[in-house]
Amino acid sequence: MHIQVDQLTKQFGNFTSVDNLSFSVNAGEVYGFLGQNGAGKSTTIRMILSLIKPTHGTIKLFGKSLQDDREYILSKTGAMVEKPDLYKYLNAIDNMKIFSKYGGLSLSRDEIMNQLAVVGLESRAHDKVKKYSQGMKQRLGIAIAMVNNPDLIILDEPTNGLDPQGITDIRNLILMLSRDKKKTVVVSSHLLSEVEQIADSMLIINKGKKIVEGRVTDLLNPGKVQLEIETLNNEEAKLILGASTWSDSLKGNSIEKLIIEVNRANIQDLTKYLVDHGVGLIGIKSVNSLEAYFLSLTSEHAV
Amino acid sequence: MQYSRITFIELYKIFRNPRTYIAFSVVAIVVGLIQLGFYTDGETYLEFGLRSLTDTFELHGKILNGYLMAYIILQTLLVNLPLLVSLVAGDMISGEASIGTLRLILTKPISRNVLIMAKFTAAGIYTLVLLLWMAFWSLGISVLIFGADDMLILKSDMITQILSSDVLWRYIAAFGFAIVAMLTVASLSFFLSVFAENSIGPIMASMSIIIVFTIINTLDLPIFNHMKPYLFTSHMLGWKGFFDIRVDANNEQIKGSIENLPGVLSSAGVLIVHIIGFLWASIWVFKRKDILS
Repeated sequence: MHIQVDQLTKQFGNFTSVDNLSFSVNAGEVYGFLGQNGAGKSTTIRMILSLIKPTHGTIKLFGKSLQDDREYILSKTGAMVEKPDLYKYLNAIDNMKIFSKYGGLSLSRDEIMNQLAVVGLESRAHDKVKKYSQGMKQRLGIAIAMVNNPDLIILDEPTNGLDPQGITDIRNLILMLSRDKKKTVVVSSHLLSEVEQIADSMLIINKGKKIVEGRVTDLLNPGKVQLEIETLNNEEAKLILGASTWSDSLKGNSIEKLIIEVNRANIQDLTKYLVDHGVGLIGIKSVNSLEAYFLSLTSEHAV
Repeated sequence: MQYSRITFIELYKIFRNPRTYIAFSVVAIVVGLIQLGFYTDGETYLEFGLRSLTDTFELHGKILNGYLMAYIILQTLLVNLPLLVSLVAGDMISGEASIGTLRLILTKPISRNVLIMAKFTAAGIYTLVLLLWMAFWSLGISVLIFGADDMLILKSDMITQILSSDVLWRYIAAFGFAIVAMLTVASLSFFLSVFAENSIGPIMASMSIIIVFTIINTLDLPIFNHMKPYLFTSHMLGWKGFFDIRVDANNEQIKGSIENLPGVLSSAGVLIVHIIGFLWASIWVFKRKDILS
């Protein structure tokens, strides 16, 4: 087990950012850390990286306590926390050199070029970072996270602010790190569809509390499909469904989005039931199952 | 080992940053302008200033020489140098916080104590190099342009003449003192830098503190007079003490002497205590700081 977090809490004054959070990350997996903005993801990641001191709780990485063996743990960990701007007046090679030396390494030019090739920046290695796009800076940030060849890579919102091509590049990079380089990767995001495509396991948090943790394949039920029903009157539709045999299939309390989980074979029956009971049906569409799942969970826990 | 490695990295970053050279350029430009001004109109200017003396005394030798020029330049520039020192020292932590590299650095296996000590050392070396640069221009270039001779210093109630053979060591000592004074400013800016997430705040705050303390120094009021000995700004001009010479019973200058050496040393001591205090406080705060930037 690479990360073990127990009863982690962080308070800023009266505000509890992370509340009694426990989870674990196994070696070799891609671990998705999901939550809406302000859910406490970045604070948790910063505590794991010793940037923020926890109010309560313990953090162990590689079986060692972060409090007692910080430098050993960080020597085996690489991280990119949010969007680093890096040293804009230097090129990628010099940025890499600086951070490798902070990590106690002295990499040759060839070694640096090889690492830049992994993130697809070898052709721009001599350009100053101020000429880089946000996506290139993100990729350079990941290269810097990997500079000391860590066993564990932690990426906080790596796709934030990127265009679709940039998001795809980062996703492919993470998959490559996991499959080809056998790294354990923790990725935080509020983009659920992104995490669904890359993560083996995931943790969903809301308002600093754990909502659910498990393997993505276990959390999603492939035999069923989640549907978003759009009607002229969602409240009425919900009452009708709630009074029927479909009531157990309804997900969440939201009226804005009426989500129902059904077996694929029963979709036609559901449609007929709604029409027969006079629901002004506008449309039914299959939604991203994880997103629907996430929304239903977070709305259930909303205060 | 870790300390020297990180100090080297910090120095590398300072001297690769174009902003660093603003200070070096400003020093060269200001000193060059003063030298140009005195080269063209200096004799007339000095004649006017010494008119009352030349009526009574006959002055021989080259009054407008490199040593006098260095003294004039130091008086002008050392007042403004804190801003140039703050530009780098105030940026050491806060600048890294604003571009997001502080959190990247702290995810590497280095101790916070070592990092802050290395950063302070680098800021100190920058200050030292800046002072040496200033010494090169104000003293070295001035002596090259204006030559060397005995140095006359005009004060409100007296004139001090320092033999040319007795001047150079005083400048070395004065620059040594100025380094301590500027390190005090650097340590203040560095301390303020620990709290901020952009470099403008610590630079402005440092300058504001220096301005307020300097105003307090100039006001001759009892309430402020009690405070003055403890304000570092009261001691920053202590370098001038190296140009005050003791006289013997016959009112003859004693070569190689300083009129108030204990006073100069005491001022240096107060500044060093401030440096240690600011550095200790920086370490204490930074070690406990949550990195939220």
